[in-house]
Amino acid sequence: MLGFAAAVLWIATSAGGEPIKIGVYGPYTGGSAGMGVSMRNGVRLAADEINASGGVLGRKIELVERDDEAKNERGGQIMQEFLEKEHVVAVLGPINTGVADAALRYPNEKKVPELINVSAGAKVNELFDVYGKENYVFRIAAGDLIQSEMIVSEAVQTRKLRKPALLCDDTNYGQNGRAKMEKALEKHGVKPVYVGKFKIKDTDMTAQLQEARGAGADVLLVYGIGPELAAVANSMERLGWRVPMIGSWTLSMSAFINNAGANGNGATMPQTFIESGASTPKQLAFLEAYWKRFNEKPIAVAVAAAQGYDSLYLIAMAIEQAGSTEGPKIKAALENLLKSYEGVTGRYVKPFSPTDHEAVKQANVMMGVVKGGMVTPPQK
Amino acid sequence: MQTLQLLWAGIAQGMIYALVAFGYNITFATSKILNFSLGNVLMLGGVVGFILYMTRGVPFAAALAGVIAVGAVGGVLVQKLAVEPSLRKKSQHAWILATLAIGIVLRNGAEVFWSTDDFKMRSPLGDVPLRIGGAGGIGIYPQEILIILVSLAIVLAVETLKARTLLGKAVQAVSEDKETASLMGIDQTRVILISFSLSAAIAAVGGLLVAPVTLVSATMGTVLGVKAYSASIIGGLESGYGTIAGGLIIGLSESLTARFVSTGYKDIPGFLFLIVLLLVKPAGLFGRQAVRKV
Repeated sequence: MLGFAAAVLWIATSAGGEPIKIGVYGPYTGGSAGMGVSMRNGVRLAADEINASGGVLGRKIELVERDDEAKNERGGQIMQEFLEKEHVVAVLGPINTGVADAALRYPNEKKVPELINVSAGAKVNELFDVYGKENYVFRIAAGDLIQSEMIVSEAVQTRKLRKPALLCDDTNYGQNGRAKMEKALEKHGVKPVYVGKFKIKDTDMTAQLQEARGAGADVLLVYGIGPELAAVANSMERLGWRVPMIGSWTLSMSAFINNAGANGNGATMPQTFIESGASTPKQLAFLEAYWKRFNEKPIAVAVAAAQGYDSLYLIAMAIEQAGSTEGPKIKAALENLLKSYEGVTGRYVKPFSPTDHEAVKQANVMMGVVKGGMVTPPQK
Repeated sequence: MQTLQLLWAGIAQGMIYALVAFGYNITFATSKILNFSLGNVLMLGGVVGFILYMTRGVPFAAALAGVIAVGAVGGVLVQKLAVEPSLRKKSQHAWILATLAIGIVLRNGAEVFWSTDDFKMRSPLGDVPLRIGGAGGIGIYPQEILIILVSLAIVLAVETLKARTLLGKAVQAVSEDKETASLMGIDQTRVILISFSLSAAIAAVGGLLVAPVTLVSATMGTVLGVKAYSASIIGGLESGYGTIAGGLIIGLSESLTARFVSTGYKDIPGFLFLIVLLLVKPAGLFGRQAVRKV
């Protein structure tokens, strides 16, 4: 009898000490790997810090990391593994819009919150139309809507350029961005003079740029990822044509900056965090820790790292507040976070509500400019 | 002027297809086997060149030598590991999968041991385009001139060697009739081994050549390998010079379609042409119709 009681007690205490599993997925190999790895590193850094200061609810956080290779079908497989086999209490990631969208129904079916920390195009608030109040998908990243409006207003209002050419990649991401930019232009009463696209791995954009130039474009609005955006900048140089290039936040990827070299100077993009413009103590401490831990300076994709870092903190705060690892309780806590959070990408006071799952608002976002091999904060 | 720019880009791209297609042609001539890992051997050449020239900072000539060596050894390994065993087992088609598999191993190896990112390689001739015809004129990268000249030189040199030297004659003999060539005292295994080594070395040089105008990555050879394969079929697998025609047809049709039809359709005309050609002239533009005695 005593032995039985001891056994029960032992099970109870060890269960209390069991780690809290959080799923983290993104592309750690392939063309989007830079974003995925930076995001994962940011999450790891936050996990280490949280665990070092006692964990959450007295339990350690354990990250379950999976590589989705930026393949849409992997998104669904990984999410099923997270929820059916690993029984994670929350999911962070991914990077690619197609991957995210392919798996969004699982967290909603299983009632496990997913906090998207990089993908700008994945459906978030759109899901309220499908699931009503039972929407378990959140985001801490500048969504395509915010980005495309900022890109367009930078071109049309700030710089008074009214003959834009749109050049976007042919993935879900690029084409979503194109549609949103067209809509934003329409609001300003501007029609693009040329709309073109390119494929992942294309390295010669001469044909598209010739058409844009022929149509009299005075600014290039682009949506894509690093390597191909660099090809756009390099092909412009080849044609000897120079117009401003404004586009998706991915213009801050090292894959763009390094591969475009001097041709990338002046490229302008919305950013939630700019490494060279870090000023708050939180941002400086984050950078110091990241550089040291991963021996990487500058960070390959600083925005992804910062958002990854903040995403785990927000989830940890919600679990702590909920006092539970049950999905519905974490969701309710996220929607009504009592404490504010001073993050790397900004200060979050009630970042989410039951009707708005987007943490990043336009006020959190600034326009960064590529200059001399890095992203610099906007000139005052 | 604009069209000239497109023609130039198409020719430069086409010559790279031609160079890899020529690699396919060399092994096919001696052994009737296509080395499907060639696209990834090209990648290996680009990556090794990048590591030597950019990361280690060795002179370009030394990097080139290193790339040729890696390619040559790689070709021997492909032949020893993938082709010979499947021929020994008298398997008709095992070499197709075996060479494809080697290509996948090379690509994944590069991803694991090197990087999954894309990198810019500096051209030894500089990255500033030459401007021809004034401010609105066409931009030509010095590297593209190098690509065209080196590719032509390689094809010319190998074809001349084949026609003039004893080894070349041996290669031709083996490609005409293996058994008879053996009876004549030609070591056909050695000839085949040399052909694999040579073709892989050429592909690796191709990787080093394209690297400065595209980007270096573990996936840089995948699409190139497929397009070069179509180029070699269009030109005729038996014909060395035909591969140049094949490469140019694909390269030019891509760049012209991208501009005048749509960038989304740029790959279609080349492949459409391939299908039509296979229906009309299965041996390719410059190939001889094979007569198969049963």
